[in-house]
Amino acid sequence: MASGAETMAVEVAAQNLEAMAASAAGLKAIGAGLAVGLTGIGSGLGEMSIGAAAVGAVAEDKEMFGLALLFTVLPETIVIFGLVVALLLLFS
Amino acid sequence: MIQNSSGSAPYIYVSTRLRVRKAKLLPPEEYQRMLNMSLPEIIRLIGETEYQKEVDELGASFEGIDLIETALSWNLAKEFRNVIEIAPGSLKEFTKAYLRRWDIYNVLTILRGKMQGVAPHKIKEVLIPASSLDRFALDRLVAEESNERIIDALKSEKIYKVLISEYPDALASGSFARMENELYKDMYKEFLTIARRGVKGGNQFLKYVQLDIDITNIKTLFRLRQDGFEEDARSMIIQGGTFTPDEIQQMNQMGSQNEVIDALIARIRAKPLLSVLEDFRGEKPYYEVDIGLTKTQIEQMERLSKINPFSIHPILVYLEKKKYEVLNLRALARGKESKLPSDIIRKYLVV
Repeated sequence: MASGAETMAVEVAAQNLEAMAASAAGLKAIGAGLAVGLTGIGSGLGEMSIGAAAVGAVAEDKEMFGLALLFTVLPETIVIFGLVVALLLLFS
Repeated sequence: MIQNSSGSAPYIYVSTRLRVRKAKLLPPEEYQRMLNMSLPEIIRLIGETEYQKEVDELGASFEGIDLIETALSWNLAKEFRNVIEIAPGSLKEFTKAYLRRWDIYNVLTILRGKMQGVAPHKIKEVLIPASSLDRFALDRLVAEESNERIIDALKSEKIYKVLISEYPDALASGSFARMENELYKDMYKEFLTIARRGVKGGNQFLKYVQLDIDITNIKTLFRLRQDGFEEDARSMIIQGGTFTPDEIQQMNQMGSQNEVIDALIARIRAKPLLSVLEDFRGEKPYYEVDIGLTKTQIEQMERLSKINPFSIHPILVYLEKKKYEVLNLRALARGKESKLPSDIIRKYLVV
């Protein structure tokens, strides 16, 4: 009897551990998704204003293209930080 | 929320375009160089700048001062029309309203020209089709036989109401001054209506309109005092600014210039305007007062455009600066043609 109860307890514990491991992996995936998603939204908002100004400047002076492009992609770095955080979460 | 904090993309796009255009306007050193040049050299130099296309196009039909005048007018009209095209949303409405003064200028030029028997091609040279009346509409007006027919042809325009009510008196007195006043007063009334309608950016436009009304009223006051007119100033004053017509009339009746300046300073809050008014103490020639006030107005508009970077202000600053660039080049070319000394020409430039 006792050994049957012990086996059952071990099984339940094992199931709990599996469930915990699965939810930890799920939370990591959600964290990674949020890291990329939110930084993507932030970059988009930043690039909206810079991009509009850059297109306006280039429309008047073609020589500004290189500098305008550089300024437009500067907020992209935020997504890269988000991506690094996501990769660390998923593969560390 | 995003729109309030950073302005929507089309506003940013247009404001930046016009900032770049403003940066391309002639710098003060260029005027200094031109003052030391002869008329053909000035024409050549202008032909190498933003006016190149117009100078090349018109080079076959005009020469000398006529070429400069026409090329400048064409370029100004082209620029203003292009700004209307690219301005988004409510900024388009404000820009169109601001440019309505060119309709008044054009119609008055045609009426005055016709009255004085000026040749149609000479009238056309100085017209600036920058507003609702385009080049073809103005050509049709110039081709009309009489001023009455010109006014009839303007039935669908906003200025018609004032024209039809004021023209008989103007004809009887032989002066369009009162009619001109009424047209501009009506224009400012419309500006105030548009600015107070509650559309996006209306408050910024209202700030410009009030500044413009104040500067125009102060200029009128100084001009009346300079000319020594005993006339009632109230009919010439535009309502909607800091000063009421009665206040201006009281100032007009004051004994000395210093008293007037004290009275103006007591009511004004804008610092640049206060300092320029201090400079006018003592008797100064009117053109110095006029140019000083114009420069202060542009400075104040620049300040407003920095406070509200994505609003109507950057557009208006560019339009004003472009207008004065054209007026400066015209004054320079006319001055050189009349063989005026450079020092005299310099005093009339708004740099």
